[in-house]
Amino acid sequence: MHTEATAAQPDVSEMELVKRCQQGDTAAFDELVTRYRTRVFGMIYNMVHNEQDAWDLAQDSFVKAWKSLPRFRGKSSFYTWVYRIVMNVTIDWLRKKQVKGAGTEFDDAVQLREVDPASKTLPRAEALPHERMEQSEVRARIDQAIAQLSPEHRAVILMKETEDMQYHEIAESLGCSIGTVMSRLFYARKKLQNLLRDVYENV
Amino acid sequence: MFMKTFEEKWTAWIDDQLSGRELDDFLASLPDRGTAEVEKQSVKQLGTFLREQAVTLSNADFFSHQLRERLDREEDQAEYETESTVSGWWTIRRLLWGAATSFAIFIICAVFVLRERTPASQSQYLSEILSYRVDPSVSPNASITMFEKKDDHVTVLWVDGLQSLPPEYAAK
Repeated sequence: MHTEATAAQPDVSEMELVKRCQQGDTAAFDELVTRYRTRVFGMIYNMVHNEQDAWDLAQDSFVKAWKSLPRFRGKSSFYTWVYRIVMNVTIDWLRKKQVKGAGTEFDDAVQLREVDPASKTLPRAEALPHERMEQSEVRARIDQAIAQLSPEHRAVILMKETEDMQYHEIAESLGCSIGTVMSRLFYARKKLQNLLRDVYENV
Repeated sequence: MFMKTFEEKWTAWIDDQLSGRELDDFLASLPDRGTAEVEKQSVKQLGTFLREQAVTLSNADFFSHQLRERLDREEDQAEYETESTVSGWWTIRRLLWGAATSFAIFIICAVFVLRERTPASQSQYLSEILSYRVDPSVSPNASITMFEKKDDHVTVLWVDGLQSLPPEYAAK
């Protein structure tokens, strides 16, 4: 799994950072957040399709992770554990939103800027207007297609396709069996193929 | 990996997780292998497309900054709540101790006052009679009972079983 750590930071092992966090070292937690914040945010954004909500839920997830760290025993990898928290927070939020009947919202205004992987903050040169528009349309299609999946199916396909997680890691993160993960992946892929085939085959 | 359903086997095949006999059996079970291969490529294309379109966090450092501030704020609040809970318990303990001490002082005073008041409220006449010792050898079944009605200033002294009056009393 790729992380956001840069060459400037020493390659401290994840478990070492976790141990330091458990002793109350906030700098170590900061380092862990830096490693996973973009992926966590991207994952949540794909689930909720709104930048502000994704931002808030990512913050909530990391706060929850910090509070729960003393109970982390290292039986699974840290990122699987964090993803479990992220999924619980996000799926709970989606269910509550469904119950409230707020419907699906799309954040069309979100400006999705590509970020140079070598940099944490500096954006690459802006795309041309027509490219931005195309990109925005493609993004909207993806959001609309993913919105038609259940929260559980969304989680599975995003973890597999965008996070490149293994079946057992997804199963751990979602608290279900590997068979369930594979079955959900089958149906989620079928649905997205039907909804997005014209987009991804022509990009 | 033990797979039971077609969906599980198909997914494993798409992700190149099938091998050996499992793979052979699965491929043999496909009605149209050509179509299945096209489908597999399509799914892989979808995966690549989704990865390429992954959203990035544009203000990553601000995200961390905001998170740090929130954690600091929540820790301060948690410490404050812990302190106030502890001081609250001190107040409750003090109140309990104060109440218990006050009650004990009240009981002691009440007993003391009652003990002081009882002899004074008792009839002087009765005190004299009670303090007067009836000789049990002369009157073994003697009993003395007093009925008092303070409002009417009446006291009835009932003496029963006396064989003879003590000479001092008779003299009165």
